[in-house]
Amino acid sequence: MSERFFISETDLRGLTADLLDGGTEVIAPVATDICQSPSAVAATACTLDGSKVEIDYRQLTSADDLDLSRGLPQLSLKEFFLPEHEPLCRWRQKGTTVQVFEVPTEFAPRVVLAAKPCDAAALAVVDKVMNWDYEDELWNGRRAATTVINLACQVIDDSCFCTAVGAAPDDVKGADGLLTPVEGGYVYEPATDKGRALVEDFAARFSADVPADTIGGQADDERAAARARVADNLEIDADSVRDWIEANFEDPLLTHLAMRCNGCGACTGVCPTCHCFDIVDEQEGVGHGTRRRLWDTCQAPTFTLHASGHNPRDTQHVRYRQRINHKFSIYPLRFGEVLCTGCGRCTRVCHAGQDLVEILEAIDIAARRPRDAEPAEAAS
Amino acid sequence: MTGPAIAPAYAGVDELRRVARELLESGEVRVIIGWEDARRGARPVFITDPAEADKLIFDTRCVHNLVTYLDPRRDHVSELGRIGLVVKGCDAKAVAGLLRESQLSRDHVVLIGMRCGGVLEEGELPEPLALTPENVAPRCYGCDNREPTLTDHLLGEPQPEPPRPVMTIDERVAALDDLPLEERWAFWTEQFSKCVRCYACRQVCPLCICERCIVEKTQPLWIESAAHPRGNFSWNLTRAIHLAGRCVDCGECERFCPVGIPLSLLNRKLQQIVHDRYGYTASDDPENAAPIGDYRLDDQQEFIK
Amino acid sequence: MNSQHSDTFEPRITAFVCNWCTYTGADLAGTSRLHMASNVRIIRLPCTGRIDPLFIVKAFERGADGVIVSGCHPADCHYTSGNYHARRRFAVFHDIMQFLGVDPRRMTFSWVSASEGAKWKDVVNETVANIRELGPYEAYRALAPDAVEPWPEAVDGLTPAGDQEPAAKEVAS
Repeated sequence: MSERFFISETDLRGLTADLLDGGTEVIAPVATDICQSPSAVAATACTLDGSKVEIDYRQLTSADDLDLSRGLPQLSLKEFFLPEHEPLCRWRQKGTTVQVFEVPTEFAPRVVLAAKPCDAAALAVVDKVMNWDYEDELWNGRRAATTVINLACQVIDDSCFCTAVGAAPDDVKGADGLLTPVEGGYVYEPATDKGRALVEDFAARFSADVPADTIGGQADDERAAARARVADNLEIDADSVRDWIEANFEDPLLTHLAMRCNGCGACTGVCPTCHCFDIVDEQEGVGHGTRRRLWDTCQAPTFTLHASGHNPRDTQHVRYRQRINHKFSIYPLRFGEVLCTGCGRCTRVCHAGQDLVEILEAIDIAARRPRDAEPAEAAS
Repeated sequence: MTGPAIAPAYAGVDELRRVARELLESGEVRVIIGWEDARRGARPVFITDPAEADKLIFDTRCVHNLVTYLDPRRDHVSELGRIGLVVKGCDAKAVAGLLRESQLSRDHVVLIGMRCGGVLEEGELPEPLALTPENVAPRCYGCDNREPTLTDHLLGEPQPEPPRPVMTIDERVAALDDLPLEERWAFWTEQFSKCVRCYACRQVCPLCICERCIVEKTQPLWIESAAHPRGNFSWNLTRAIHLAGRCVDCGECERFCPVGIPLSLLNRKLQQIVHDRYGYTASDDPENAAPIGDYRLDDQQEFIK
Repeated sequence: MNSQHSDTFEPRITAFVCNWCTYTGADLAGTSRLHMASNVRIIRLPCTGRIDPLFIVKAFERGADGVIVSGCHPADCHYTSGNYHARRRFAVFHDIMQFLGVDPRRMTFSWVSASEGAKWKDVVNETVANIRELGPYEAYRALAPDAVEPWPEAVDGLTPAGDQEPAAKEVAS
């Protein structure tokens, strides 16, 4: 990345306002104090004078709402590309005629600001499967219409491990540009044509005059420090992990690690790369209905249930193994990329204590161990 | 973190480890399910080796209801063999629920009851904290079963009562009840609109035991499975009423909810309803018949014309 | 707003009734030529014990403005105790729906025996009057995905969302 621009925070908010004024949809982190809502007194998360801030990616209504605190949004960006539910088509029956109404697959341009690099990277990872045996027009349509601008991350906590799976806190993978905070504003580095177009369209907001000390200084130092911090959390050899899982499918380690899993599926919901969906027909009375796709979870017993009644993933610990297997072995073998960007949400959201950092560490240790030294002892 | 001096653990941990070790050594049980201290705080642990019994802990972070692992559908747990399960009083109520509904045979499980002085709202903390009005799990206030009776071993010293939370669940329910109808509707539809339909609430519930959940019946589609407000309303309502008179208020559904829907308010309201109408309170006595599925000739019927 | 639509608004009411008492009672009301509002669609079930609260939810989802649940008086149940079980279940349902913000007047529960044609008439008329007063159940309809996802353009002159009457009607004619 050679091009660098400077944008002050005022101009960043101004740019946001320009986009909104021009009718462009802007998605960005928004912080909400959930204890400030009128009926918060009834919400158990709040005490009387309490405050509990939650960050979510939202469609902005005002540039003031843009949250640049770099906290982690509860859910990933996924829902803006693969919504929790969306119509695929609608049908109507009139007499003996059935008519199908397609949904549009072209979308108005929109911009994501201050995306987490791990969330943006997930988009590039999921692109692969969405363009594999079938080109998913809805996914691709939304991808094409969206400009994603990352905000360099300072690492959330000890559940982050993006560098262990080939991403980074200052990655532009899956994104069109990167903002890095420096004194008084941000350094902006476009990474694609869409990212450059933003500078061209709103030239007045950017300055090619990047303060000298930010090049090879402030901005880069902070980014290097963040990379080092996240690497401290976990280092694995993803290739060995991939091969070990493939070769040791029946190893009790994989299922033993999952004993405590309740199969709640919250991990798949918050995961930026989990993309499995289900399709249901919602009938609105006799005359018409909607075919809808919605998020599914491999942790649910019905996910692999065959019509015959047979279920190849019939207990929870093998379903958990399936999740690990898919992310760290099956997907990399097929597409050359790990289906995980190390955001750590699954670990944080798991109230049963399933810890992906610990699990990957255990698999990595097993993978590094000479095969014949300790035969199958890891399971105890 | 406003807690004063930190209570390292509730009394009885040594006893717990000894009993667990003996149960495993004698072969009376094949696995002990309790809590351990891990990187991110307390969490469930499955101990099969007596030498590992010292991993067990019991402190204010032990919020998990481990009875969920007795769910008859969890083959991977039951195939380990006879289970030794560590329970708090609230958890023991869930065991009673499973026994009452013939989902568990009493001799399949050895219950190690712990005298409890309440738990924190969240167990993901590096160290146990002393309970304060700010951090105590609100359901612990007024708990009527801090010394479980449905146990094979009852361990620990009697514990003091947990502190009164800043706002009790009953007060929150009352605050909602005081709102006009339209505002209650607005509150709940907003809360339900956050639902992503992961069904974590169902999966962790020790008493959600249906072989096939109604929400998985898609032909016909009784409960719309898409996470739009209409499907979410139907799902959250159905989950709650299917637990009316069965819920033991362990709070796991709310704790696991990844989007923070205050399900405990709904559960508590249902407890109040079955208490007010039928005098029923969840207990750890399996003989105490649940109110739904039972009836009296003179039940109230003021709402019926 | 309620008074605005009361002139033109025709409430849609779904009644879930048991086969043995209320259905027969409603039949008696009909054969007795009792005059009553025609806003009620009856769904006959074996027993009030067979009426899942989800039926009521489904009725609201499909556009009902009000619901009636009716069966045998206590001690009259054809299956001895179905109505007693239903009484507990609907007591809980009635209370929790109110907690969720559903106006209890949207749901009428009654005991109507086979000989109470006149009572059925009263139940129907009262319910219809109540719902007319409350107006269409817009709050529930606002939960529908259609409310935020408009249908695509009409195809060949057919609008997708159009009338709600079942197509089966046309096939029959």
